[in-house]
Amino acid sequence: MKEMNFAAVLAESLGEGRVLPSPPEWTKPPADLAEKCRRALYEVSDPEFLISLVDLGLIYGISADERSGEVAVRLTFTATACPCTDFIKWDIRERLLQLPEVSDVKVEEVWDPPWTTSRISDRGREILQDAGIAIIG
Amino acid sequence: MTEGTKGYAKPADLPDDVRDHLGSLLIVLADNKRLLGMRYSDWLLGAPALEAGIACSAMAQDEWGHGRILYAMLRDFGYEANQLEHEREASEYRNMELLDGPAGEWPDLLALNLLLDTALSVQFEAMAESRFEPVHYKVSKLLDEERFHFEHGRGWVTRLGSTDAGREALRRSFRPVWEACLRWFGPDGDEAGRALHQAGITDKDAAGLRARWLERVGPVVEAGQLELAEMDGGGSGVWLSRVEPSWDGWDPDVRRGARGGPDADMLARVRGDKNRPLLMD
Repeated sequence: MKEMNFAAVLAESLGEGRVLPSPPEWTKPPADLAEKCRRALYEVSDPEFLISLVDLGLIYGISADERSGEVAVRLTFTATACPCTDFIKWDIRERLLQLPEVSDVKVEEVWDPPWTTSRISDRGREILQDAGIAIIG
Repeated sequence: MTEGTKGYAKPADLPDDVRDHLGSLLIVLADNKRLLGMRYSDWLLGAPALEAGIACSAMAQDEWGHGRILYAMLRDFGYEANQLEHEREASEYRNMELLDGPAGEWPDLLALNLLLDTALSVQFEAMAESRFEPVHYKVSKLLDEERFHFEHGRGWVTRLGSTDAGREALRRSFRPVWEACLRWFGPDGDEAGRALHQAGITDKDAAGLRARWLERVGPVVEAGQLELAEMDGGGSGVWLSRVEPSWDGWDPDVRRGARGGPDADMLARVRGDKNRPLLMD
């Protein structure tokens, strides 16, 4: 273990092995870069559930500078002791940086208002219910 | 934060003395959260019931999560979070003495659960409407997660307190923790408590926080007949301690009686010494 750079190994493994339900079918092009980013995050899953971060209700806001390509994501977690905080932040950065318009991604951790199951989208609820997970609240 | 009052968006906006007191308070809270989480984790296996072990696991995770958030906040106060979490010596920790060593028996852990954990929550609750925005925007999530910790402690005290043997065990374990928690808020008129209250960072000073803690835990220990608290006989509805804390050796900077810190085993665990190669950003 001492010879292994664990962080580097984890970073190299980003995005591997995730199979997510298809994102929603969009009928219109995104209005702006922030919306484009939001749509891209439908392809980033929570590491524990097969559901996107957007459907889980963890994305509290996205702002994007159209000229510089700098993007800021306001993100919460289901619990303060979420064991996957770093993975989620890495996955967000990795996916958004795949967009040619995006030059940099900053992820801000926020806790207000506190996340509850009421923030899960209807689509997210259906996906979880199909997987046998009951949502209370 | 009351509507219309000016908030402080970052530590640099705070008056110097308030910033120092608040930074110190956040280290105290972070250290206590981290150490309390370790104490809960000692009982993942070996608790009296499987459910109790699972509850300890969940409570440990909560405390570590809260500690993580607090250490991260301290970056803006000029501290290096990684150093705080992983590189300090035992004497630099500001946790309550009670957390230096293990909770030997299950009633000892229950005392930490009901009394000490609630004392920390009372301190957070006082910052729910804080003018310091970085704290204000995190407290409700923390308190949400803490709610079941109190219920867990109350349930066990009620249950064990209903038997003679259980009550005696609880009395032995609760007395030292009770005294330490009474003292932890600081003496009436404590300078840091007053400064934070006057600046709108907290909604109570030391005496007010102690009274709020007594109001919260008093009815539980009284129902368990632990002979630690009673309601004011004058009909004020105020809960009073039947024990007076000793202030001998009290050090307001670290909010404990004597410098010391976690024992060697706990220090290695809390700093993550064994897992240093796994440490990431």
